[in-house]
Amino acid sequence: MTQDATSRWLDGPVDLTTVSVQVTAPVLAPRNRGWWIALCASGLLTAVMVAGMVYSFESGVGVWGNNTSVVWGFPIANYVYWIGIGNAGTLISALLLITRQKWRASINRFAEAMTLFAVSIAGVFPILHLGRPMYFYWLAPFPDSHTLWPQWRSALVWDFWAILSYLLFSIVFFYVGLIPDLATLRDRARSKLVARLYGVFALGWRGSLLHWRTHRRLEFLMACMAVPLVCSVHSIVGLDFAASLMPGWDESIFPPYFVVGALFSGFAVVVMLAAWLRGALGLQDIITPRHFEAMARVLVAASIVMGLSYATEWFSAWYGGQGPDVAQLAFTFGGPYRWLYFIMLFCNVAASQVFWLRRARTDMRVLIAVAVLINIGMWLERMLIILNTLSHGHLPSAWRLFTPTLVDFAILAGSFGFFALLMLLFSRLLPVVSMHDVRKLLSEEGLA
Amino acid sequence: MAQLFDPSANTFLRVVMLALVVAPLVFVGGMVASQWSPFTTGLDHTPEQPVPFSHKHHVGELGLDCRYCHASVEDTAFAGMPSTHICMTCHSQLFTNVPMLAPVRESLADGRPLIWNRVNQLPDYVYFDHSIHIAKGVGCAECHGAVHDMPLMRQAQPLSMGWCLSCHRDPGPHLRAQNAITDTTFVADNSPQQAAALMKAYDIHPAHLTDCSVCHR
Amino acid sequence: MTRYELIRGRKRPPTAWMPDRREALAMLAAGSAAALAGCQRPRETITPFVDTANEIAAGEAVRYATALELSGYGRGVVGVVVDGRPIKVEGNAHHPSTLGATDPFIEAAVLDLFDPQRSKTPMRGPVPTDWRALGEALRAQTAAHATDRGAGIALLTGRVLSPTVLKQVEALTTEYPDLQRFRWEPLHDDAERVGAGIAFGRALAFQPRLDAADVVVSLGADLLGPGPDQIRMARGFARRRRPESGPMSRLYAIDTSLTPTGVMADRREAGRPELIHNAAIALAAALGAPLAAPALPPALARLVAQAAGDLKGGGGRGLVLVGPAQAPEIHALAHWMNGQARAPVDVHAPIDPVAQNHADSLLSLVQAMRAGAVKTLIVLDSDPVFGAPPELGFRDALRHVAFTVHAGLYRGATGRAAMWHAPLSHAFESWSDTRALDGTASLVQPLVAPLYDTRSAHAFLAMMRPAADVGDLQRVQATWRAGSDGGDFAGWWTNTLAAGVVPQSAATPATVPAARLPAVTPATTGPGLTLVLRPSPRVWDGRLAANAWLQETPDPISKETWGSSLALAPADAEALKLAAGAAATVRAGTRLIQVSVRIDPGHAQGAASLQTGFGQVDLGPVADGVGANAFALRDASQGFLIQPVEVLAAGAARPPPATQHVFELAPADAGLFPVVAASDLAPAKPRPSPPDLLTPPNPAPIAWAMVIDTSVCIGCNACVVACQAENNVPVIGPEEIAHERDMHWLRVDRYEHPGGQGGFQPVPCMQCEEAPCEPVCPVEASVHDSEGLNDQVYNRCIGTRFCESNCPYKVRRFNFHDNQHWPVFGQLDARSIEAQRNPEVSVRARGVMEKCTYCVQRISAARRTAEKEDRPIRDGEVTTACQGACPTQAISFGNRADPSAAVNAARRDPRHFVLLEELKTKPRTTYLARAANPPDDGGPR
Repeated sequence: MTQDATSRWLDGPVDLTTVSVQVTAPVLAPRNRGWWIALCASGLLTAVMVAGMVYSFESGVGVWGNNTSVVWGFPIANYVYWIGIGNAGTLISALLLITRQKWRASINRFAEAMTLFAVSIAGVFPILHLGRPMYFYWLAPFPDSHTLWPQWRSALVWDFWAILSYLLFSIVFFYVGLIPDLATLRDRARSKLVARLYGVFALGWRGSLLHWRTHRRLEFLMACMAVPLVCSVHSIVGLDFAASLMPGWDESIFPPYFVVGALFSGFAVVVMLAAWLRGALGLQDIITPRHFEAMARVLVAASIVMGLSYATEWFSAWYGGQGPDVAQLAFTFGGPYRWLYFIMLFCNVAASQVFWLRRARTDMRVLIAVAVLINIGMWLERMLIILNTLSHGHLPSAWRLFTPTLVDFAILAGSFGFFALLMLLFSRLLPVVSMHDVRKLLSEEGLA
Repeated sequence: MAQLFDPSANTFLRVVMLALVVAPLVFVGGMVASQWSPFTTGLDHTPEQPVPFSHKHHVGELGLDCRYCHASVEDTAFAGMPSTHICMTCHSQLFTNVPMLAPVRESLADGRPLIWNRVNQLPDYVYFDHSIHIAKGVGCAECHGAVHDMPLMRQAQPLSMGWCLSCHRDPGPHLRAQNAITDTTFVADNSPQQAAALMKAYDIHPAHLTDCSVCHR
Repeated sequence: MTRYELIRGRKRPPTAWMPDRREALAMLAAGSAAALAGCQRPRETITPFVDTANEIAAGEAVRYATALELSGYGRGVVGVVVDGRPIKVEGNAHHPSTLGATDPFIEAAVLDLFDPQRSKTPMRGPVPTDWRALGEALRAQTAAHATDRGAGIALLTGRVLSPTVLKQVEALTTEYPDLQRFRWEPLHDDAERVGAGIAFGRALAFQPRLDAADVVVSLGADLLGPGPDQIRMARGFARRRRPESGPMSRLYAIDTSLTPTGVMADRREAGRPELIHNAAIALAAALGAPLAAPALPPALARLVAQAAGDLKGGGGRGLVLVGPAQAPEIHALAHWMNGQARAPVDVHAPIDPVAQNHADSLLSLVQAMRAGAVKTLIVLDSDPVFGAPPELGFRDALRHVAFTVHAGLYRGATGRAAMWHAPLSHAFESWSDTRALDGTASLVQPLVAPLYDTRSAHAFLAMMRPAADVGDLQRVQATWRAGSDGGDFAGWWTNTLAAGVVPQSAATPATVPAARLPAVTPATTGPGLTLVLRPSPRVWDGRLAANAWLQETPDPISKETWGSSLALAPADAEALKLAAGAAATVRAGTRLIQVSVRIDPGHAQGAASLQTGFGQVDLGPVADGVGANAFALRDASQGFLIQPVEVLAAGAARPPPATQHVFELAPADAGLFPVVAASDLAPAKPRPSPPDLLTPPNPAPIAWAMVIDTSVCIGCNACVVACQAENNVPVIGPEEIAHERDMHWLRVDRYEHPGGQGGFQPVPCMQCEEAPCEPVCPVEASVHDSEGLNDQVYNRCIGTRFCESNCPYKVRRFNFHDNQHWPVFGQLDARSIEAQRNPEVSVRARGVMEKCTYCVQRISAARRTAEKEDRPIRDGEVTTACQGACPTQAISFGNRADPSAAVNAARRDPRHFVLLEELKTKPRTTYLARAANPPDDGGPR
């Protein structure tokens, strides 16, 4: 790899045109058999998820592992997990924009796409989880002939709004960033049909100075709005648990700790996606080892905060010395789920410490391995938050363990397949890297 | 390079964008509004009956009291439907062989009950008790309307939960003296003073009337 | 006009056409969804009477006194009938055996009535036939016996006390003088009978009065356990267990496996049957009997010494009770001891006219059958093919009989083995009469016309005689007219029907001499384990096994449902290399069964125990294959002890699913079930309520509250089944419970304090004032009402389950499936079950959360009545189903805002405590701590 001395973040002989060529190639000049294979595989998994969901709708939530004490199970864990992933994209993109992090240019686009897809998947689970899903719309405030309204004190109603607003916002944010690149696609298109297609969505972008100024303003403005919104979403998810009086849940630490967790798992997924796109679409010059190094740094920082959050939980339980909380702690470390908990601790706290080594930060294999571990760990964390508390509540007579069913796993696995499917389509239909941002970077680095 | 779109495209796009916003609103609005439509509530629903029994004739013209046929209305939740024998107390003398009444005579003959089509119908998770409403001064007409003017029985009110609550939240205006309970021509429209007086007389406490457990169990 | 004539007056069964808009509730729950979604409501019809029925108001409950039998003993009950459908059974306050309360068996009887598994038509072998054919065959057969004076006819019944049936049998015997009658109950009282003979020289019946006893010693006698006398015994016990109402009695118990009696005892030790035998001798010796006291393990010896001290000293009245498993001599010894201790026991001549022992009776029958001496065998309401010891080989003995007919509510194993089967009517479908343990007679009146083509036992017996059949009503009336003083019989009849008991019909007390001291020798513990057969608190001897409610009722001790496993002491289990839940083969001689193992820390070493009645094969989809048949291990003597048995590991099993897994309370959790020594109790003083920033006290004129006294709760489950019947709580089946799901709104938790006493703690909804379930529900399906009830609005619930996840007491129950149509009844059409449902309670749809409502339907009914009568609701006017069922009256319910209410008296009790008070949920359901009365030796409490 020829190291370009003048660009801090990009490699090789990149200039304004090579960027466009490299990024638009997979969209306008597809030539990829691997892509089709991957598409079929993920399509298959998606079918599994759909089958699982249809089966659940048709025969009721009794087909899952949930029981009288552990009334929540996989769907809620999956929901919290995917919302977490969904959090990161916009957060990364917006936060890095506000903080003027140049390396954002290469990753923000697919990070935002990730957000979009993850949030839409997450949004399905609360509905699937309902005993009578056909009435999910009762969560929305609309005048009805019963003169009934939702219960504003319930965290689930807050959720409803948080997810909805976040999803809508993310779509717009994503689209706004996309417009100039759609114009590029329009202009580079070989067939008139394709040109028209992208043309419609490019909204007649001509790249005039006025366009650019408005666009920059809008993007920055939205970024500023994004940050609090992102924080609110997962804070509110945290409140689903924190606003209760079950031991292990009623903790004020939950909201911040959920947000960090989201950032953590989200960045891990970004690392995986970056590695994949870089290899599959030949973007080695645009997504460079330095990007991975930067992200690895973020990961190690986040993992330390996670570790601190866990420690705080243990400490406050022990220091508070309240019967139920202490019992809860004892159950966490001594109960039947303890191995899952230890695995979780390893994945979320220990694993990413390897990034203190520079070699690990640049070694793709290590990066991917750790990213996978982190995601396993984060899903386990969400599952254990539910299991430990509900399996071991206040009354010993109601202590019950949870055993998942095949359907539970089918839906979980399927949701990953569906996510992959969406990403694949995205990589084929839209520029996975924000070309205009990269060009901006080049010009700022004086290479244009 | 060549133009991709002609100028009309702008207008077209604007229209589409507008539609994207308006269409969902219209759809949802329609769904919401449909709750109050007679199609949903069954307001004015007037089913065919095995015997075209006319309340207009029996109540309006002959002046029969509701309780003559609906005998248990003061004592039980179910207002009571007249047994064939009740019909025959008169019709063994009057119109003894008009074809219209054939089903009634058959019913008596072979002991098979008449099967009427229900007019005023509540969901089964609603527990309505006629007797308590009567006892607390809610007249028949409040829910059943101008029965004396109905050739065939008609659903006079939407019977939606909102409609029930409108009275349960503020019963005063809808109350009447016991002597007017079964008078379907009497329309309760009480002044605030009357309302208060009646509420006191009947010892009604609205605080409890809007508890879910009053109607749902 | 009696109920009977009313029903008969109709052309079709009442349920078919009453204006009963709730019949199809389950279906309409779905329909309602459509209605809410904005479609039109489904259209219904109304069907009035043809004739004006002056007794029946549509949808209103009517009560009729009648009686149910358990092993032949009558127990007076009140049937609640709505629109011609019996929907609930309650106790009859006038009846000495129920005293207004119930037990699970009584509560569940109404399900049997509508059970789709019932036998519905006469059968000839496997072929359905009709009564005419059966009648002709029967008469032809009996006619053939005119020559041999009926010598070839054998009549096998269970314990029969019904005066009318006895009269009919008598008539038969006059017609066929040599007709042989046999009487057999698998759960028999042979040991008691022989014991009484040894002690007093003749058979006698005994009625211990626990309320008059100051010291009670139970030697393997589960005196608070299931049985015909449970309610009376429990009530008597409870009268002496509330420290604030007089001095407490002290209960010592030695039992082999932990029983409710053991749980409630002030001092309990586990001992294998042989040790209980010896403990009895030691106790007698300590009371001055010239017997050599055998050596006992120290713990037992100490208990015996304390018990003896209590029995002798203090001038109180003692009572020694011995279990059916013990030898007759020990029963006799107990009579002697009771003589010494001035025991409060009513004695009278036995109610059961048959003198012969049950075991002998069945044995002689089988011998006669094998000898070919029996040409015609009539089995009336008895199932020997299931319950008889295998070595009698009853099934093939039947082959030696030319003509066999079985009559019963269910066809069962015997019905299938016999040539003919006659379906009997349910007690709620026919006229009859019966007698209680103390001889009190009751009339049995039908609550509904027979649902199927069945006949009463009377009609069946009458078929054997050519004489034209008079109706059951006339037959029963004839019996009592003969007995009556010839006065106004019609009036007498009406009053007796209404009261449910025949006045002055109790047995006259017998005066007995002092009990003779029997010659007893200490028992030696043989090799191998001793197996104890215990009557099941759920299916009794198996005759109730088809009842899904009872199968799903958790065992009071093990909390097992749908079957029962072999209980072993931990040490023995270890020695046998048996893990909890493992499968084991139990072998006694050549007889063996397969059963799963339960390790019971309170079990005596060297013994094992197993409940009877499970392991049916021919009873129906509910009972078949559930658990193992303990009777299959018995030998011809039909004792309750089987010695020796071998227990061999047999791989893995699917143990009966349990609803509670953790019983022992860690020290940190001890506060969940406080046990206070009666002596430590401070006098009642008003406790100042702590300052509260959450909400002002409820200003409403009514504030419903419940107090449960754990000091007298014996864990009998009557409340659980009562709640199930009253509130349309569905049965979900063993697979679901194994999946850690359960539906009972009211559960009875059992706790143990390490090395100390535990007890039972019924847990309904706490109806919290600061209910954690309410703020979390996104659609306000869980809301508070102005009287402090925590309403659950089923038709608003969307099933987020947030409420249950946030409920510290975990009292909410979720419909994971369409439970109202859960296929517990296999392929059978279970629609008949819908006729049992309480029309005043919604049937819950799939995906909906449900829970205890304090029986809000009863509250509402009382309120409407009161308001119509323009008066406040009286204290005690509202009784919850669980409260009404409770034999020990452990539950008090009422208006907390009324200072004079009984519930407030309970709340002022020094034993009053709040479950998880620290959570500030302010429950309306609170408890009285268990008061223990431990011996004054600082022994374990």
